[in-house]
Amino acid sequence: MASLLQPDRVVYLVRGEKRIRAPLSQLYFCRYCSELRSLECVSHEVDSHYCPSCLENMPSAEAKLKKNRCANCFDCPCCMHTLSTRATNIPAPLPDDPTKTAMKKAYYLACGFCRWTSRDVGMADKSVASGGWQEPENPHTQRINKLVEYYQQLAHREKQERDRKKLARRRQCMPLAFSQHTIHVVEKYGLGTRLQRQRSGAPISSLAGLSLKEGEDQKEITIEPAQALEEVEPLPEDCYTRPISLPEVTTLRQRLLQPDFQPAGASQLHPRHKHLLMKRSLRCRKCEHNLSKPEFNPTSIKFKIQLVAESQVLLTLTNPVENITHVSLAACEEDDPDDINSTAKVIVPSKELVLAGKDAAAEYDELAEPQDFQDDPDVVAFRKSNKIGFFIKVIPQKEEDADVTVSFKIRHDFRNLAAPVRPSEEGADNPTEAIWLTHHVELRLGPLAP
Amino acid sequence: MADKQNAQKSVKIAAGAVVCVESEIRGDVTIGPRTVVHPKARIIAEAGPIVIGEGNLIEEQALIINGYPENITPDSEVEPKTMTIGINNVFEVGCVSQALKIGDNNVIESKADVGRNVILTSGCIIGAFCQVNTCEVIPENTVIYGSGCMRRVQTERPQPQTLQLDFLMKILPNYHHLKKTVKAATNN
Repeated sequence: MASLLQPDRVVYLVRGEKRIRAPLSQLYFCRYCSELRSLECVSHEVDSHYCPSCLENMPSAEAKLKKNRCANCFDCPCCMHTLSTRATNIPAPLPDDPTKTAMKKAYYLACGFCRWTSRDVGMADKSVASGGWQEPENPHTQRINKLVEYYQQLAHREKQERDRKKLARRRQCMPLAFSQHTIHVVEKYGLGTRLQRQRSGAPISSLAGLSLKEGEDQKEITIEPAQALEEVEPLPEDCYTRPISLPEVTTLRQRLLQPDFQPAGASQLHPRHKHLLMKRSLRCRKCEHNLSKPEFNPTSIKFKIQLVAESQVLLTLTNPVENITHVSLAACEEDDPDDINSTAKVIVPSKELVLAGKDAAAEYDELAEPQDFQDDPDVVAFRKSNKIGFFIKVIPQKEEDADVTVSFKIRHDFRNLAAPVRPSEEGADNPTEAIWLTHHVELRLGPLAP
Repeated sequence: MADKQNAQKSVKIAAGAVVCVESEIRGDVTIGPRTVVHPKARIIAEAGPIVIGEGNLIEEQALIINGYPENITPDSEVEPKTMTIGINNVFEVGCVSQALKIGDNNVIESKADVGRNVILTSGCIIGAFCQVNTCEVIPENTVIYGSGCMRRVQTERPQPQTLQLDFLMKILPNYHHLKKTVKAATNN
């Protein structure tokens, strides 16, 4: 099947903002615009956050607070696999009677892939199975927080001045419009001012009343500029002569995964909380309809809305829809601007091909009538339920072609069964009118036989 | 003379070892006590004898082979080298081991391939599907993992699989026929 195992053999042309050629399994079909869409001509929106190992859902606000990391799961700092908690029994003195020892459970983190354990870094075993593990504190956190607050205040002040100037100039225009505009400008400093943090759910119109009052109450935050030191710590004397022990040096990838510390020695690699993944929904940019909307539950891989091209558009040989479809093929013209990749001429059958609809029950129904389409044996090789195989002639242009590519246009009728019900003013319009769609298809046939 | 050669080529299984009948053991192989050999494991001593110590766990479709090096034809004179395997090693499913000297407490994970010129010391772990065919001695407590065969040193050696061994020694005889234990033949 070209769609599963060799997806790049058959590509369809998508006429969006950019002209993209992609296999049908990676495309979507907007049935309101009746056009193919690729990942580049849709807008991506974040649906929900979830942790890939414990599959816990997290609302977006909480995710932002925890810096997009899960609270329970850890990543191995050595190989980035998920860490699992293991338990051992250690003898520990009883609290009542120090002379007797009882077996207590101690927990440590271990990686199943590279056999890293939390004991390698010197982290003590915890007595609680989960929740006992802490990430090390960044020594510069306080300074960074202070700097962020100072700049937020600065941005807020700039926004206020801009607001005042604009209001002074045009008193007739609504202040709401300008507040909306300035919010997008101020957002450049991240979480924004305290105002925006408070009004996470409130509509924007409430901002106009708050802006001036809140600003005057804020106190002045001053920061000291960073100081440059004249003396730098000298390198150790045996820096050039000491032999390197490779297992103790961290790789660049391990180092950069922890940008706070960037440890050079493997004995300082602490585990970090696991990153959250997100589910995204896709929206057609022209008609603003949703093309793909996943389920909210992280354990479910189904979709609420799923308009993938494979279930709507004809594949080269199979008819995915349930009504009879007529297909006609046309070779590309000489000066077709889309036809840039083909290296061979193709002669397609000129007659129209008829494909029966997809009938899910036909497999089990032994008494089904045989389909009686009269097929020209020169054109049609075989026919089976909703599939058809047909012949095309290919004339390669070059002698030693490594990859023969052929392109042609396929034109078929499409019935939009799920179109919204039109009001009755339009008269006796047949709701399942056929639309004729044309797709530009390219086939990679492979190398020429010597 | 012929008897001596025949006696040397037999399989000697110590008392306390559990060796299933469906395993294929050819050549001069000595298996120590408390070792478990699963069905469909293959231990082949072509170019020399194999001595396996105590407490080892050899799982299904594992292949321990003392074979001729590839560029020497089997007809020419090669002196037989003994392959020694220590105690408490684990050969997981589908691994191939041709290393001539294996120490203690090593783990060769599934589908790993260890070449003839590798010497495993103690506590080494060869990760799944890693192919190690260099010409070296792997230092103690080394872990080889990943598709690029990355290495790191771990602080503690892998624990011996005593629980698993005890469980298997109880359960396997219920479902499989075992090979009879044969003491080492004394030359009279």
